[in-house]
Amino acid sequence: MLDAPLALIAEITHRCPLHCVYCSNPLQMTSPVSELSTREWEGVFEQSASVGVLHVHLSGGEPLAREDLVQLVSSANGCGLYANLITSGVGLSEQRLDALVEAGLDHIQLSFQDSREAGANWIAGARAHALKLEVAPKIRRSGVAFTVNMVVHRQNVDHLDEMIALAESLQPERLEIAHVQYYGWALKNVEALLPTRTQVLESLEKISAAQKRLAGKIRIDAVVPDYYARFPKACMGGWGRRQLLIDPCGKALPCHAASLIPGLQFENVRERSLEWIWRESDSFQKFRGENWMPEPCRSCDRRMEDFGGCRCQAFMITGDATATDPVCSLAPAHGLIEEQLSRVDSIAATASDPRPPRSEQFWIYRPQPR
Amino acid sequence: MPHLDFSRPRLAAGCRWAGEGENRTLVFPEGVLRLQQTARAILERCDGEHTFEQIVQELQSAYSASDPAKIRQDAIAFLKRLRQKRLVDF
Repeated sequence: MLDAPLALIAEITHRCPLHCVYCSNPLQMTSPVSELSTREWEGVFEQSASVGVLHVHLSGGEPLAREDLVQLVSSANGCGLYANLITSGVGLSEQRLDALVEAGLDHIQLSFQDSREAGANWIAGARAHALKLEVAPKIRRSGVAFTVNMVVHRQNVDHLDEMIALAESLQPERLEIAHVQYYGWALKNVEALLPTRTQVLESLEKISAAQKRLAGKIRIDAVVPDYYARFPKACMGGWGRRQLLIDPCGKALPCHAASLIPGLQFENVRERSLEWIWRESDSFQKFRGENWMPEPCRSCDRRMEDFGGCRCQAFMITGDATATDPVCSLAPAHGLIEEQLSRVDSIAATASDPRPPRSEQFWIYRPQPR
Repeated sequence: MPHLDFSRPRLAAGCRWAGEGENRTLVFPEGVLRLQQTARAILERCDGEHTFEQIVQELQSAYSASDPAKIRQDAIAFLKRLRQKRLVDF
């Protein structure tokens, strides 16, 4: 029997004051004029709760760019959903924060690009770091559950200890240390962002030491870069298995990147019920279960643990969405990942990475949607 | 940090119950926990009002066939584990 989705990622807008070079938004972003209305989002939350969704992750772009955010939180809360706000903090006044908490916001995740201001602003393509440092103590004082998210990659991971110390000073319950995943804008900038193997191993040691040191004080969850893993990640807990994402104009996707897979038609909540989309739509059924799997997945003992890895990554790297995720050491196309990694090692070895002051021409910033 | 014996454990910030009856689930940032009988009985009493001692006593009477010392030991281990995960404060 098909389980209900546990979590809804509500990508309520693609507008964002930041231009992070690793943004997971699709390259084709949704125009503000076609965004779902307040009432339409409320309908999505009602339907989600009735099919069994527990969490709603209000995401973007920057969710604070929606003027009706307090009302959306209140509506999600009224449906019994656990409301999580994933934000850069830019645009979060004390008054608005209080209104969000009053409306029933359960949790805020505040992201940082670096511990060093110049680097953070360079990565975000915006002067956002100082604003984040101002907003973090307000979040802490509001009493809402608080996660600090540090996004790491080759240009900042060498001072991860400093980032952990910054997070510690902000006193969250939880710290997420997320190595960049290579989708959307991050894939465009992969050669600038992908860490070397040495950097990854060092970061894992630092994370594990911090987990021990901060046990009982700050819970640390880490997202490791799958390019260096032996086996792929169970992307989204499996296609159409645990989570669904609704994009700003109402398109229902099994994950952030799925719309780039050709030949799949994704349904819109403006036209179809969420339950029908989850249960019946071709797009959600396409890679559900194991019938679609090729070898070596089909006969692999891990097939119901990692579900063959990520379909989008398989498509982006091999051109075939039904291929075994090439990050898997058993994948026929794994050589492509190894080539990428050795390219990065040689770039890093020739020390061609920029030193401050760093140029904005070094990489491609995510623009504003039009 | 107060000693467990004298404290009144409660769910940590951002951690709450969702769903009804059989489906009652503990929901927290980025995760959910469907709990077995005893674990759920312990956590449902982590309301900031029950002292740890009261929680243990209630469990010992609810599960009178089990060894009371083991119930206490298991409750201590369980709550410490959940505090490590920042799901329970005491």
